[in-house]
Amino acid sequence: MVNATVPGGSTADPALLLDLVELVGRAPRHGLVLVPLAVGDSEDQRRTVAAWCERTGNRMVSVVDGLATVRRGRSPDPFAGLEPNQVPGTRLWMYTNFDCNLACDYCCVRSSPQTPRAALGVDRVRRLAAEAGEAGVSELILTGGEPFLLPDLDDLVSACTDVLPTTLLTNGMLFKGRRLEALRRMDRTRLTLQISLDSPTAEIHDAHRGPGSWDRAVSGIRLALDEGFRVKVAATLPYEQTHAVEPFHAFLETLGIPSEDRVIRALARRGVADQGIELTVETLIPEITITATGVYWHPVGAEHADQLVTRDIFPLQEAITQAIDRFTSYRADAVSAAQWFPCA
Amino acid sequence: MTDPLMVGAVAYTPNVVPIWEGMRDYFADTDAPMDFVLFSNYGRQVDALLAGTIDVAWNTNLAWVRTVGQTDGQCRALAMRDTDTVFQTVLVAPAGGGLIGLESLRGKRLALGSQDSAQAAILPVHYLSEAGLGSDAVDLLRINSDVGKHGDTGRSELDALRAVLEGRADAAAIGINTWEAIGRDELMPGAFEAFWTSPTYSHCNFTARPSLGADRADPWVAALFAMDWENPQHREVLEMEGLRRWVPPELDGYQSLFEAVEKQDIALRW
Repeated sequence: MVNATVPGGSTADPALLLDLVELVGRAPRHGLVLVPLAVGDSEDQRRTVAAWCERTGNRMVSVVDGLATVRRGRSPDPFAGLEPNQVPGTRLWMYTNFDCNLACDYCCVRSSPQTPRAALGVDRVRRLAAEAGEAGVSELILTGGEPFLLPDLDDLVSACTDVLPTTLLTNGMLFKGRRLEALRRMDRTRLTLQISLDSPTAEIHDAHRGPGSWDRAVSGIRLALDEGFRVKVAATLPYEQTHAVEPFHAFLETLGIPSEDRVIRALARRGVADQGIELTVETLIPEITITATGVYWHPVGAEHADQLVTRDIFPLQEAITQAIDRFTSYRADAVSAAQWFPCA
Repeated sequence: MTDPLMVGAVAYTPNVVPIWEGMRDYFADTDAPMDFVLFSNYGRQVDALLAGTIDVAWNTNLAWVRTVGQTDGQCRALAMRDTDTVFQTVLVAPAGGGLIGLESLRGKRLALGSQDSAQAAILPVHYLSEAGLGSDAVDLLRINSDVGKHGDTGRSELDALRAVLEGRADAAAIGINTWEAIGRDELMPGAFEAFWTSPTYSHCNFTARPSLGADRADPWVAALFAMDWENPQHREVLEMEGLRRWVPPELDGYQSLFEAVEKQDIALRW
């Protein structure tokens, strides 16, 4: 048997190259190919497979247990079909504190008045905003718990709006006194407020979020509009109710909320919600989310270990790259799985 | 509405389907729509071309030579890939084995690919003959796998290389595309080395049936030449088919194969 030197100085069986050409050459585009490996140094074989894939425009998936797995051709474009604002890394979420004046029965991150504050703090928010700008992020989104519980919220917001257009999520119930003054100091040209409101009347909203919360949220929406802010309204509904929302739209019309500023989303089974749609990293398009404890896949899973991307918040670009790499891998696997298990 | 031009191709890999679906989709947006028919081998495809079942055949160089022979030269080559104008045969051997040039093969064992592969069998024998190396000078090991597909699958060339690795042959004749596919001698230095490379010759082309009028062929060829590597949708098809641009046929590049087919008394069809 002839052995040869591969780049890097190791040896490998040249027959491996012939097997790769033959077996991958037979495979359909984007298909997975399993190439048996001869007994030998697995690191040498891995390097040979990787070098061949790099040179020939194929993708090495793995080399383990005597088998090389190769995907034919370049991976499909992981961003195909996504709207521009859905491309991972376009929007950056920051959980500013986690504690909240409400204890909504579906909160995806278990926020409540009893939740310990886990604040990012203005210094980290400022650095994140700066790195986000350099990383190609086009929008920053701040969420709480309830951000208006923070005494320095206007500093956090200006740290963001100084760099990028920003959206601030709030229940809209605390626009009084010093908090109203803080709101008034925020940059109306760069800041959008997104206020939670679940129904056109108080009954459903209050059942989930507490008595009197609907009245105060509606007052908050009106106040924010009067103050000259762009206001989005976000509703969280059980999935089966998301298709019967005409009365809600009619009510928002009376408030002066244009249709493009209405966000109606299905309830997710996350946090304290014991019902709702299941969302996993494999099925969610990532929206990079920063908390005081780390970087998460999506804001809906920001206190769940399965959605943790990394504990290292900085450098932000590295965290974004990690999430995009995982997303690319999930998408490619989904395409291959569809080819691997044809249904007809 | 113009009837679509019917183009034939041989299904030598599953990826032939997305290639020709991509071509069909591209031409659907032009004034020369096309559809395609896949064949299991080039013999059947050329038969269908001559019977008028298809208008144009995506032919190998051997299929072109045979179509010319069966139509008394009345068929017409319309276009080829840029890569088809510079095809080559490469003779490879274990690195450091001391083979240099065709003459060094005298008394050695040369593994050839499928008997109907121009690059891995017909032309290598032709080049040996031109160099004065007849059938008694070199021991030829013929590996006839996937006959009918004119070497498109590359399998016989890989088997020829395996014969070298296993010591059953001293050298192998392969196409430049297979040499590239294994990374030449760069990916695994010390395994194989190329000790002789042929002059360039022409490989595949789109062959029109003799009765296909210019009114049908010309708009289709114009649309073909308009495919643009810089257009991502076009590029996907071009990459799969292995070219950057379609070019006019270089008929001089078939001369060596015409001579080889005649001298080796290769039948015009089988």
